[in-house]
Amino acid sequence: MVNKMPKHIASGLKYLAAVKLKEQGHNQQKIAEELDIDRSTVSHYLNGRNLSWNSIDVAKTITDLYPKDFLTMVQAIIQDPEKSRKIVIICKKYEYDAFVDDSCIGCGLCVDLCFMKSITLVSLKAQINSIHCCGCQTCENECPTNSIKILEIEDD
Amino acid sequence: MIKNMKESKGNDFDIKRAAEEVRNLSFNNHVCIGCGICESTCPVEAIDLKDMGAISRNKFNTEFSGHDKLNQNIIEDNEDLKLTIDEHKCVLCGMCSGLCPVDALKLTIDDTPIREMDIYPHYNDYARIDDDECIYCQKCQTACPRDAIIIERNLPKRSDLVTGEIDVTEDKCIYCGICAEMCPAEAIEVDRETGKESIVIDKDKCVYCLVCKKSCPTNAIDALCRICSYGEYDINPENAIVLGSSVLDQELCVKCGWCEGVCPTNAAKTKKAFEGTLEIDQDKCQTCGACIDICPCNVLSFVVPTGPGQKLDKILKKEEYCIRCGACAKACPNDAITVKITNIDHTPTNSKTWINALNALKN
Repeated sequence: MVNKMPKHIASGLKYLAAVKLKEQGHNQQKIAEELDIDRSTVSHYLNGRNLSWNSIDVAKTITDLYPKDFLTMVQAIIQDPEKSRKIVIICKKYEYDAFVDDSCIGCGLCVDLCFMKSITLVSLKAQINSIHCCGCQTCENECPTNSIKILEIEDD
Repeated sequence: MIKNMKESKGNDFDIKRAAEEVRNLSFNNHVCIGCGICESTCPVEAIDLKDMGAISRNKFNTEFSGHDKLNQNIIEDNEDLKLTIDEHKCVLCGMCSGLCPVDALKLTIDDTPIREMDIYPHYNDYARIDDDECIYCQKCQTACPRDAIIIERNLPKRSDLVTGEIDVTEDKCIYCGICAEMCPAEAIEVDRETGKESIVIDKDKCVYCLVCKKSCPTNAIDALCRICSYGEYDINPENAIVLGSSVLDQELCVKCGWCEGVCPTNAAKTKKAFEGTLEIDQDKCQTCGACIDICPCNVLSFVVPTGPGQKLDKILKKEEYCIRCGACAKACPNDAITVKITNIDHTPTNSKTWINALNALKN
C-alpha cells in the first residue's frame, strides 16, 4: 500500500490541476491534452467519481507548501520533468515578478539551475519568464552576483 | 546542484559545466603572460595568480635568459604554473576569457568559443603577415618575443643563379695544388701523392670565380663565368625568386608589433587593443630583472653603461612594443612600475557588467 502512495497523490495533484483548468474555462478535451490523461479520467475527476479524497487532501497540502518544497515534492511524485512543470504552473498559488539587476554577468548558472526552464540569456543578461516562474528562488539563492530578485505578487 | 568538473593536464586545465548548455573553460599555461587581468576582473574571485614576480626573479638568479638574447621571455622548460582557478567558485561566466589579452583562457559554450560570438565584447587587435608582401627574410621570426612566427623559405637552386663552365686539361696539369688552395668555394681536390696524382672539380660547389684559372701556372684550367661573359641572359628571373610561407600562431601572439617594427616590407601588420602609458620609477627600482623576464613583448632591458660615472636609467623601455598588459607592474617587488590603460579598442556589447569590467581596466 505504502509504495502506491505517490501514485495516489499524483492523481490528487492531477485532480487539482483539472479543477483549476476547468475554472479557467477549458473544456475536458483540452484538459486531457494538457495533463496527458484520458478524457474519461478527466470526466471522473470533474464529476467527483472514483476519487481518493485523502490523496486530494495530501495534494492540497503539497500545493500549500513553500514554493521550493512544493516544486521538490511535485518532482518527486510526478517524476517526469515535463509533466511536473505543467502541474506546478497550473497549481501554483501565487504569481511572481522577477527582476534581474544590471550586475548580471551572464554566467548562465540560473539557466542551468531553473527546473521550470523559465530563464534565458539575452545579451549576456538573464531574462526570467514570470509566467513559468514557480517562485522557488533557486536562481536568487545561487546567483554569484546576487542580481536576481523574485517577488510574490499579492492578490488584491 | 550542478557541479563543475575539473580536468588537469600538467599545468593546463579544463573546467566544465554540462547542463542545458555545455560550458568549458580551458587554461593554457604556455600561452598565459601572467598579466593578472583575469584575477582582478573575476566576479567571483575564483582565480589565483601565482607570484609571477618571485617566479621571474628566481629565473633571473639561476638561469636568466639574457641581456643579449632576443627571446628572453619565453619560459619553455620546467614551465611554472601561472594561475589556478577554484572550480567550486567558478561560475563559467567567461569574463576572464573575454578580457584575457591573449588566448590563455578560453570559454566555449556548446563548443563555440565566446571569442567568436557577437554578444561578447572582443578586443579589436590583430597581427598578420601578408604573404604577397613578405620576402621571407625571417627578421620577424627572430624578433618575435613569443616565438609565434615561423617563416619557411624555399631558396632557389644555386645552379640557377651561378652558372658557368669549368674543365681541366689533365695533360697540362702538374697537380701542384695551387688551384685547390686558392679556391674560395673549396670545390677542387688535388691528390699530389706520386703515382696517384689526380684533380677533381666539384661543379656543385664551383662559383665560377675563375681564381683557379688565373692562378694555374700551366694554364691547365679552362673556366668561364656565364654571367660575366654574357650578362644575365642565361638566368631565368623566375628561378631566382625566394618563395616561402609564413605561419603566425595567433594563440601565442600578443600583438606587440615587433614583427611590424622589423619588417623591411609592409608584410607584417599589427594593431594593439590597449593604449596607455608605462612609467618606471628609477629611484625605486632595485634592478632585480623580474619585469624584464616577465614582459611578454621584450619591451624592457637593462641599461649597459658605456663609461664610468654615468647617471643612467636602470631599466630601458621600448614603448612602441608595449601592449600595456601590466605584467611587469605585477611582477615588480618594489612597486616601481605603473602601467595605465587609457583606451581600449573593443567591439560593443549590451551588457553593463561587461562594459564596467572593461572600464575597470582603465584605472
